[in-house]
Amino acid sequence: MNDKAQLHTMEGLLAAILMTMTVLMITQSTAIVTPQNELAIDVQLEQIGSDTLKVIDIAPQTSIIRNNLTECVASWDTTTEASYPTNNLEILDNSISNLMPEILYNVNFAYTRNGNLTVKKVIIHGQPADNAVVVRHYVTLTNETVKTMGGGWNLADDEIKVVEVRMTTWKV
Amino acid sequence: MESLKKDTRGQWIALSGLVLSLILIGLAALANQALIAGYHSSNAVLEFPKENIRELNSHTRDNAEILKSLSFEINNSTNNTVPVIFEQLFDNYSTQMETLYAAHGETVDISLVSINSNNGTYNNNSDIDVIFVNLTYNDGSTHYVSEPEVIRVTK
Repeated sequence: MNDKAQLHTMEGLLAAILMTMTVLMITQSTAIVTPQNELAIDVQLEQIGSDTLKVIDIAPQTSIIRNNLTECVASWDTTTEASYPTNNLEILDNSISNLMPEILYNVNFAYTRNGNLTVKKVIIHGQPADNAVVVRHYVTLTNETVKTMGGGWNLADDEIKVVEVRMTTWKV
Repeated sequence: MESLKKDTRGQWIALSGLVLSLILIGLAALANQALIAGYHSSNAVLEFPKENIRELNSHTRDNAEILKSLSFEINNSTNNTVPVIFEQLFDNYSTQMETLYAAHGETVDISLVSINSNNGTYNNNSDIDVIFVNLTYNDGSTHYVSEPEVIRVTK
């Protein structure tokens, strides 16, 4: 029986195991990149949502978006809340759906009333998914804007109302 | 096996195998560290609340225009001067913003430092030219301060 080069054979075996372990270790460590990619998608969604609200806010009346965000908020009837599938601010819903096709969203308005925070549902398109992202944009209402748009905010002439437009966006 | 114990040849080969394996382990550890470091640094950039800070800044700027024109409107029906009315409205705005930001775990402080007029009077709608505002934002991990934020009120 030839028993030469047994040490070489063992060395080769150990080297193979070592290299396999190294490759496995590197492969497993690259898995840490995955949540980063997910985070990047979240950031992309946040950017799209944020841009949408900004674009609506600065839209001139001559554009396809007839009313800017402040006017849309001013025209809202504060006494009723949205309940799925009925939304109660169609002009805002149309503008957002034009700018964000294939993305689902819910919109709430948050504002202070007698020093307390009030949050009302305005547009509902369903239950947000796990990867939902919330974006916010602020508008300031005066009585003049509300009267022009026929909303139900009941502001005094010397009063301002800061409204947070809170939009939850998600992809299915 | 007994013959292997006595065989002392090929020690350089065995040693170079060991050195190579150690180098491989070192490289793998380095690659792993680089990935983790890359993840943490990019994560920090992605989590930075730039939109919230930008929104605070830009809305305060936009709001200054609204408050200016409203101050002159109110001035027509009250005895208060335009700067006094502007200050009252700004305080009201600041309180509302603080409440709204606090609702999502962030603290902001927006305080009016001074109202400036180029000609020193507040008789018509073009007289408030620049306001100085102190802005502070804190969400627990990011602290942003702009003191003062100089806002040119052009409209």
